[in-house]
Amino acid sequence: MRLKRPTSTNLILNLLVGICALILAFPLVWIVMTSLKQQAEVMTWPPTFLFVPTLDNFRVLFDVAQAGATSYGTIKVDFLTPITNSVVIALGSVIISLLIGVPAGYVLARRDIPLKEDIAFFILGFRFAPVLLVVIPLFSVFQAIGLYDTYIGMIWVYQVVTLPMIVWLSRSYIEEIPKDIEEAAAMDGAKPVRVVLHIVLPLLKPGLIGASLLIFLLAWHNFALGLILSSTKAPVTVALLKLLNPGVQFYPVMAAGLVVTMVIPVILIVIGQRHLERGLTFGAVK
Amino acid sequence: MADVRLEGLSKAYGTIQVLRNIDLVIDHGEFVVFVGPSGSGKSTLLRMIGGLERISGGRLLIDNEVVNDVDAADRNLGMVFQSYALYPHMTVRENLAFPLRMAKLSKAEIDTRVAQTASLLQMDHLLDRKPRHLSGGQRQRVAIGRAIVREPKVFLFDEPLSNLDTELRVQMRVQISKLHKQLGNTMIYVTHDQIEAMTMADKIVVLKDGVIEQVGSPHDLYHNPASRFVAGFIGSPKMNFLGGKVEAAHESGMDVRLDAGAVVCVPVEPDKSLVGKPITLGIRPDDFSPSSAEKDIAIDLDLDFVEHFGSVTYVYGNAGKEAVVAKASKPDPLKGSGKVRLAASPADCHLFMTDGKALRRLHAPANWN
Repeated sequence: MRLKRPTSTNLILNLLVGICALILAFPLVWIVMTSLKQQAEVMTWPPTFLFVPTLDNFRVLFDVAQAGATSYGTIKVDFLTPITNSVVIALGSVIISLLIGVPAGYVLARRDIPLKEDIAFFILGFRFAPVLLVVIPLFSVFQAIGLYDTYIGMIWVYQVVTLPMIVWLSRSYIEEIPKDIEEAAAMDGAKPVRVVLHIVLPLLKPGLIGASLLIFLLAWHNFALGLILSSTKAPVTVALLKLLNPGVQFYPVMAAGLVVTMVIPVILIVIGQRHLERGLTFGAVK
Repeated sequence: MADVRLEGLSKAYGTIQVLRNIDLVIDHGEFVVFVGPSGSGKSTLLRMIGGLERISGGRLLIDNEVVNDVDAADRNLGMVFQSYALYPHMTVRENLAFPLRMAKLSKAEIDTRVAQTASLLQMDHLLDRKPRHLSGGQRQRVAIGRAIVREPKVFLFDEPLSNLDTELRVQMRVQISKLHKQLGNTMIYVTHDQIEAMTMADKIVVLKDGVIEQVGSPHDLYHNPASRFVAGFIGSPKMNFLGGKVEAAHESGMDVRLDAGAVVCVPVEPDKSLVGKPITLGIRPDDFSPSSAEKDIAIDLDLDFVEHFGSVTYVYGNAGKEAVVAKASKPDPLKGSGKVRLAASPADCHLFMTDGKALRRLHAPANWN
């Protein structure tokens, strides 16, 4: 059924949507604009919206050889390493979380184990704890056992962020798969491992791609863990902070760094979206 | 193909006992239907045979081998689920091939078997579709195909037709019966629909509250119900039950005075201990006739309403305090309301004691076969 609205209502609604979009988009547009400006232009008041864009700021970010000589001063930035770090840590976290979290989610969804709900809630509980609360004691622990500033240590500690999400999301996705389908596979002669491989995982695929994207973003955006527990292996979020020197603030370069940081998840989401086939389980039962 | 034996099988969820002491022998090639109201444990029993539900007590034997602790995957049974439970990410062809792949058959063998099954169930043209592009009846056929493609020892059906509309249900009923004739496998079929049970079964197992009420052929259950429950469950419309009291017991049967007043001599195995005790008389709606011989039971019915089915007409009314349904051969005189006199032969009547058990009839009709 199609509701017919008066034109005036339509106009007002569209206007409201437009305002919302504007409010949301403004900081993004501002950052992108800043990243394309010269240092001097950034500081002018009132701000200019018409200017000659420059890609100089992006060059500074990655041009280690030139030691970041800009028209307005010299900064030495190595932005490639933190990006590599972030990719390794975030991807590693996603992979480890999937390997551990999906089987855990399966057990929580399908098996009758004692204290099931308590275990599930305990896992979720990690999401409630403020990261800063654990990160300071972890600092000394990590230093003592040699995990400080290592990929393994970082990926391990990132599980606090990513694992509960994967456990809970995969649990709810598995609960959506009718149990009959697994039982049918068992009757068809499939042992539990093959049921999971041939039936459960293919049906989970779209959900898991979505969940992986989500936790990749969580890991990508994390700041506190990297700040305290790493230095040379610090993620991109920490590197961005380092552009804020006590002396000179290279706002355009920082904005360029932000743009780069934003672009990578956006690309991933665009690629991942193709796989987010909806309603795959439709037609299985009834 | 195999025989299945249940010896003292029981199932409990914690302290809740859902099946008690089930003894049953299912012969090779038999079509057995488990029937009963919801909550009677019939599906649980089927799932225990299939290996989807753990057995709490007793023994389950397939081909004289105890399989209590054998995995569902290793029992080599085929099952059709109420929900069809097709694999949504696979085409019909892949769905059919799945059990064969699990059995590690060669590619060529899989292809021939899938093709055979598809043509047996007339679904060659559907092979490349995904389940979501199939109608309910087609999904049902795929589910059956997937169960038979592996040529399992026993087929299990868990209310397979309950999601289909009436017309399709009748078609599929016939198709499953034909399939049983063609394949000759042992089939165990669960339903709450007594018509499915009556039309398809070699042997019906009536379950109630986790125990077997009666096992027998459809004919047996219809004509010699062991209890009031079975009598009421099998047959449609339901058997009428009229209250009465035993006046006398003699060789030719028991004399019963109905609450409505009449005295009838019902030919059942006499039991003198019941004299003076209350008893329930059962008459099937189809056993009423308007004509009245001298020995017949006559009942005066206050007409409530009349239901025309075309070929038959049923009249609903009250005899004294009791509701009665009866088949009327001639609908015309029964139009509207008023009183009507119905008659039934005592030989067609059943007697049930207060505990629900039936007294054995002396002249039950001979078997259909």
